[in-house]
Amino acid sequence: MSELTRRDVLKLGGAAAAAGLGFPAVLRAQAKEIPMLGLWSFTGAFSDVGPVLDRGMKMALEERGMKIQGKSIKYITRDDETKAGSATRRAEEAIDADGVKYIIGPWSSGVALAVSEVAKRKKTFHYFSGGTEDISGARCHRYSFQWAASPYTAAKTVVDTFMQANPKAKRWHLLVADYAFGWSVEKYIKEVGKGHGIEFVGADRHPLGEREFSNYVTKAAANKPDVVAMINFGLDAVTGAREIFNFGLTPKVPLILTWSSGVEELVQLNPEIRENMWVGSNFYYTADTPVAKEFVKNYQAKFGGPPGYAPAAAYGMTRMMLHAMDKAKSTEVPDVIKACEGLEVEDLVGRMRVDPKTHQTLRPYFFMRCKKKDAMKNPMDFADIVATGSTPLPAEYAACKDIGTL
Amino acid sequence: MNVSLLFSQILNGLATGMLYALMGIGLSIITGVLNIPNFAHGALFALGAYFLYTVIQLVGNFWLALVLAPLGVGLLGVLIEYGGIRPLYKAGHDYQLLLTFGLSLIVTEGIIIVWSPVGMSQLPPPLLRGGVNLGITFYPKYRLFVMVAAALLVLGAWLFLEKTRYGAIMRAGIEDKEMVSLLGIDIHRLFTAAFAIGCVLAGIAGALTAPIRGLNPWMGVDMLGIAFVVVALAGLGNLLGSIVAGLLVGLAQSLVALFWPEASVAVIFAVMAAVLLVRPQGLFGIR
Repeated sequence: MSELTRRDVLKLGGAAAAAGLGFPAVLRAQAKEIPMLGLWSFTGAFSDVGPVLDRGMKMALEERGMKIQGKSIKYITRDDETKAGSATRRAEEAIDADGVKYIIGPWSSGVALAVSEVAKRKKTFHYFSGGTEDISGARCHRYSFQWAASPYTAAKTVVDTFMQANPKAKRWHLLVADYAFGWSVEKYIKEVGKGHGIEFVGADRHPLGEREFSNYVTKAAANKPDVVAMINFGLDAVTGAREIFNFGLTPKVPLILTWSSGVEELVQLNPEIRENMWVGSNFYYTADTPVAKEFVKNYQAKFGGPPGYAPAAAYGMTRMMLHAMDKAKSTEVPDVIKACEGLEVEDLVGRMRVDPKTHQTLRPYFFMRCKKKDAMKNPMDFADIVATGSTPLPAEYAACKDIGTL
Repeated sequence: MNVSLLFSQILNGLATGMLYALMGIGLSIITGVLNIPNFAHGALFALGAYFLYTVIQLVGNFWLALVLAPLGVGLLGVLIEYGGIRPLYKAGHDYQLLLTFGLSLIVTEGIIIVWSPVGMSQLPPPLLRGGVNLGITFYPKYRLFVMVAAALLVLGAWLFLEKTRYGAIMRAGIEDKEMVSLLGIDIHRLFTAAFAIGCVLAGIAGALTAPIRGLNPWMGVDMLGIAFVVVALAGLGNLLGSIVAGLLVGLAQSLVALFWPEASVAVIFAVMAAVLLVRPQGLFGIR
């Protein structure tokens, strides 16, 4: 057995010294890195929007050179599979294994409500954009924020504007996606509709991922409505709109896509199917704001087509979160949350303010009318914005009574 | 109960049921003759829709596309059987299952690469756009066409299998492959033909469905599940059973939507579970 020599001791001592000096450096480097999670649907019912959501968040981060407050941003993504169980598991893994403190997403309201609970439990900043009113309503808490307009704001914009243009169209038939988003928007469409004397002659709910709409459309047609309004999204909306056209309801009867992507659905439909179609959305690419113009220009240059609501939401949420970090001059979650509460900026869709009492982002909602085929200047020239509305949820409807503590 | 609505729902059930039957017969032939679970059947259905779309884009003729698209899928079926499935006939079911599952992924990814992941719409031909007044109800012309066309195809497939010599060989192949082989019939050609016919039927179902449901790369996934339900309900390899099971599933789905829309998908599997509890071998199955 060989004895330790003086040289060996010196070597070991040197190595130990190097390690002692080196480790803190590594630790400092890790602390300087801010892991941020984009929780998107790359598989499942909303798999078609996962990749474009990813694009939006990445663009917002890249605008800042992947840095905030002098620290590097580490952007990671996880597939929520459009399932609450998978999404919560992936979010927890990212928080525990990757040190994530900031989550943007997911896309489905039902899935997001589950993730919001994880954010609350793990004290993680969470920004979401979708149609459920619960994140900034009954299930509000300090850690989750809502970027999309309140379902009330959307319903008010859609119903008021449409009835102004079609005052006699009082018999409405609703086709509603049977989950949190559908229920929230349906509730306010009916509520706002009362003020216009609208009679809801039918309201069928269909499961998420429905592909056979003939049954629902037959029932809608049997009710002889003046208007069919769909409260669904993505492929459900595309399939429903196509079937309504096949049954000969459109273009004779106007079809309203109450809460649409504005691009991703419309591009999948022929101009003939889009005729007399009215579309509500949280974003449309002709939005006349400096941030939107710059975003649309860059997105088109990069991906060859205009962005819809999905990439815009991911982009917009990320920007709001970064604005809050700027305001806080910190990347610590409690500081960023406090800064985000009451944050007021001119951003993607115009004046945007985060209500500190509910964490609802108060912002405009868009309502478009699709163009006839011969009026389109190019294949992506789907619609004209006919209204932007920003009426906030009246206090009597607000279900977020106490946002709680950090 | 609104009689007009009930009548419309029955028509809806028959139209979708006929498409399910087409898928079911195709899958039943493949499963019966080749004794392999074809997990690529849904992807081939999608391919039928995309081929239809492409031929229409190229030549602008829906009717020509409706003929060429399924033939294209059948031709691909020949290549798949010859190059992929044939070497695995003597391998276990798990190898065949993995192969067909892998094929379904390859076809789906191929669709994404060639046509993009974004879905598309295909309008019915001008002659079949809009609806027609049937007296009792107003119904889309294209759906009526699909109902009649699919019924004729199902009848044609059934007559081919029941009344022709080749059909008799194929049915014999379903019952006893070794015996057919001993009779001096080229069993490999039989396998290739059976797989190709199954693919053609999936392709026709896809092509006919395109103007109703549009196109997206994953459109075959739902249809694959339903096709397996039809085959299980019918009884393995039973062609008449596939027709009855297809119609049963279509009608159940359609009529349940009248009373309980949220359950219209679940009812497909509920019907299957109920039938298999009473008759584990399926409606017309003997094994």
